Amino acid sequence: MSTLTKFSAIPYTGPAPTNRNPYVPAGAEIADARGEVIAAALQHPGMTPELGQDMPSFIVDKEQIVDVLRALKESEVLAFTMPLDLFAVDYPGRENGSRESGVGSRSNTSDLQSPNPDLRPPTADTRHPGRFDVIYQLYSLKNNERIRLKVRVADGESIETGTPVFKGLNWYEREVFDMYGVVFDGHPNLRRILTHEAFQGHALRKDYDPAQRWILTENDVAKIIPKIDPRFENVDTDYERVTLNLGPSHPATHGTLRIVVTLDGETIIGADQEIGYLHRCFEKMSETHTYQQVIPYTDRLNYCSAIINNVGYCMAVEKLLGIEVPARAQHVRLMLSEFMRIADHLVCIGTNLVDMGALTNFWYLFQPREEIYGLIEACCGARLLPSYTRIGGLAVDVPPDFLQKSQRLVDMMPKFINDVEKLVDRNKIFLDRVVGVAPISAEEAINYGFTGPCLRACGVPFDVRKATPYLGYETYDFDVPIAEGGDTYARFLVRMEEMRQSLRILQQAIERGLPEGPVIVDNPYVALPPKAKVYNEMESLIYHFKLIMHGIQPPVGETYFQVEGGNGELGFYVVSDGTKNPYRVRCRPPCFQIYSAFPDMIMGQTIPDAIAALGSLNIIAGELDH
Amino acid sequence: MHLTRVRPGVVKVERTPLTVLDRLYLPAVIGGMLVTIRHLLHNLFNLKQLPTISYPEVKRVYSERFRGRHILTSREDGTTRCVACYMCSTACPAECITIQAGEDERTREKFPVRYEIDLLRCVFCGYCVDACPEDAIYMTRDYEMAIDTRARSVVGLRDLVVPPNFPVGPMGWRPYYGAIDKHGTAGGTGVGQQLRSAPFEDDAPPNPDVFRGGDAQ
Repeated sequence: MSTLTKFSAIPYTGPAPTNRNPYVPAGAEIADARGEVIAAALQHPGMTPELGQDMPSFIVDKEQIVDVLRALKESEVLAFTMPLDLFAVDYPGRENGSRESGVGSRSNTSDLQSPNPDLRPPTADTRHPGRFDVIYQLYSLKNNERIRLKVRVADGESIETGTPVFKGLNWYEREVFDMYGVVFDGHPNLRRILTHEAFQGHALRKDYDPAQRWILTENDVAKIIPKIDPRFENVDTDYERVTLNLGPSHPATHGTLRIVVTLDGETIIGADQEIGYLHRCFEKMSETHTYQQVIPYTDRLNYCSAIINNVGYCMAVEKLLGIEVPARAQHVRLMLSEFMRIADHLVCIGTNLVDMGALTNFWYLFQPREEIYGLIEACCGARLLPSYTRIGGLAVDVPPDFLQKSQRLVDMMPKFINDVEKLVDRNKIFLDRVVGVAPISAEEAINYGFTGPCLRACGVPFDVRKATPYLGYETYDFDVPIAEGGDTYARFLVRMEEMRQSLRILQQAIERGLPEGPVIVDNPYVALPPKAKVYNEMESLIYHFKLIMHGIQPPVGETYFQVEGGNGELGFYVVSDGTKNPYRVRCRPPCFQIYSAFPDMIMGQTIPDAIAALGSLNIIAGELDH
Repeated sequence: MHLTRVRPGVVKVERTPLTVLDRLYLPAVIGGMLVTIRHLLHNLFNLKQLPTISYPEVKRVYSERFRGRHILTSREDGTTRCVACYMCSTACPAECITIQAGEDERTREKFPVRYEIDLLRCVFCGYCVDACPEDAIYMTRDYEMAIDTRARSVVGLRDLVVPPNFPVGPMGWRPYYGAIDKHGTAGGTGVGQQLRSAPFEDDAPPNPDVFRGGDAQ
């Protein structure tokens, strides 16, 4: 009996046909043209256009970035008022001056850039050396467009903070500092955010060894003393000021969140948070797994609506691969996404009402949620963490009675939603707890980068399903609900109505019926061949082995794709270097921004109000902590 | 809670104005109690339809796609179907499968000397089943895997391999459960055998040029 070696350990270097040419996004010319318009409108010297991207993209001088951010925000025509995302990508090879330095140097080596040589930025890399790409993504509500700004920073260099322009950049800058060690000058509170104080090094750097372990002892734990709000600084009351820890393990926080509040009597006059208790560096793990293997990790981001995460990630990679998913798979993805959105809102409203002592609603809302999970389980064999989608489609076809089951659910759900409305909507006890509690104005919410129900509760009708439709949402008749006030009550109203709108979409989807056909693309470099072929046919068996061993190899490039998650815009930014592992997967978790505004929202309120507000924001720790 | 249309595609949810009656607390409380009592009476007279089940006396029946504990199927002659090709351990995102391959001196067949799944690492995603080219690993509907020590979470060949012609009844995630005969068995005359002899319609070999930038360029 001889022992064989594990041959999967042999690295594969040959190219697959999927990655022979760099990635060219579908709307690159439109984005380039729009980029020219933006550059002409802004007339800023520090911006160099980066062509051939999926949205208008610029490389900005390090010294100019805050200036550019401010100009983009204050421009009447452009009005990029919303900071969607800020993250970094590490290209360690670039610092050595090699031109062939990973994915980033593509802009001056590739022939597939703009056909017009004058439009190419030939000196982009020499003018902007540096190891890290710090990437800002802004959104303009006025023009419904996005923009990407890249700043190249060398190791040890620092950037000026953008927090005076966009409050929403506060936590993002801390995250980039934590993960890459890029220092933001002038940041009000630049300490680690996702990892703990005893952590050594910066986890998302390419040279960081992921197998290291750092132990946090009691002595290392940060003593957080919240800054007292200036409004209350000199107010003299009869009470003694008390600093109180809410969490990290507290029944009202729905996840491990630590909120430190300073109280004056019952009034909160200072608050600070600590997050990262559920941090597992999903993004680093993605870099050591194949594209297909990342899907189970995305389940764990927002575990209340896991299928939306699956869909978002898969669609980002499909965009990179340039493949179109079969109609049947799209239809199922849309239906299950809507079911998951309803489930997400059911959890949010149900638990929020439990926080306020209305326990009965919890049972009424969790029963339909249970039924939704039953449907998901019938499709893919798991309830909470389905991993149902695959890159290119779905893992398996839906069961034959899928539409009947969906119809039964759509029919039974309004009863439960109406019951909850009857229980609370005219109930003064409930209204006293929510009306005017933790309000946020529309300007503030946009400045913080709110998306989803929390933004719509401020009266801003931004919904990714309407703004940039995907999966055929543009063909469905549904409304985006908004409310005014931006308080806990408004968020409750918006979520209640959104569930009804989702039911409308589902009813239409059921009436249209499932399109016939396969549920996954017929492409041996993306999807596994059918098992009957694998068992019988040599060629298919080879493709099967190749795909498992060498994975999907998308073309070299980077792309961003956004879907409307339960809490707002859920975006995935995928950078490919042509190998089987993603070079970088960035997830834009919607509740990260929303939670960063929490201290501002609860200032001057009481602890019970803060609890009610926290529930209405629907903070999901898996997503918040990456 | 009623709606006013702001513009096409956007509706505004109006706040409920409270009437004098509502401000008195009691009508709303009584209205709420009526809803609760209606549910109570409905449940009292429809005990069989209660949404709760008395676990563990009553167990929930999961679909035949349920991703539970794994099994390794056997051939008719009792040998395990697994050929230690490492596909499952390569596809596993949790890296919970450990295989050591051996070679049968007599038949020159490769087979697993050691095959271990760490059930505490396993995320039950079903990728191992999808990856298996030999119809050797299935998932069952068994979800009760409580253990008292960490060491017992690692299950080996002794726990995983089932005898030939194991009934398909308790089976969960497996290739082609839709096409399977309910009375069939796993392994032996199971799915694999049915599929092996099954003709398939689309006989064309996969086209490598389906991609932009394929061989054609």
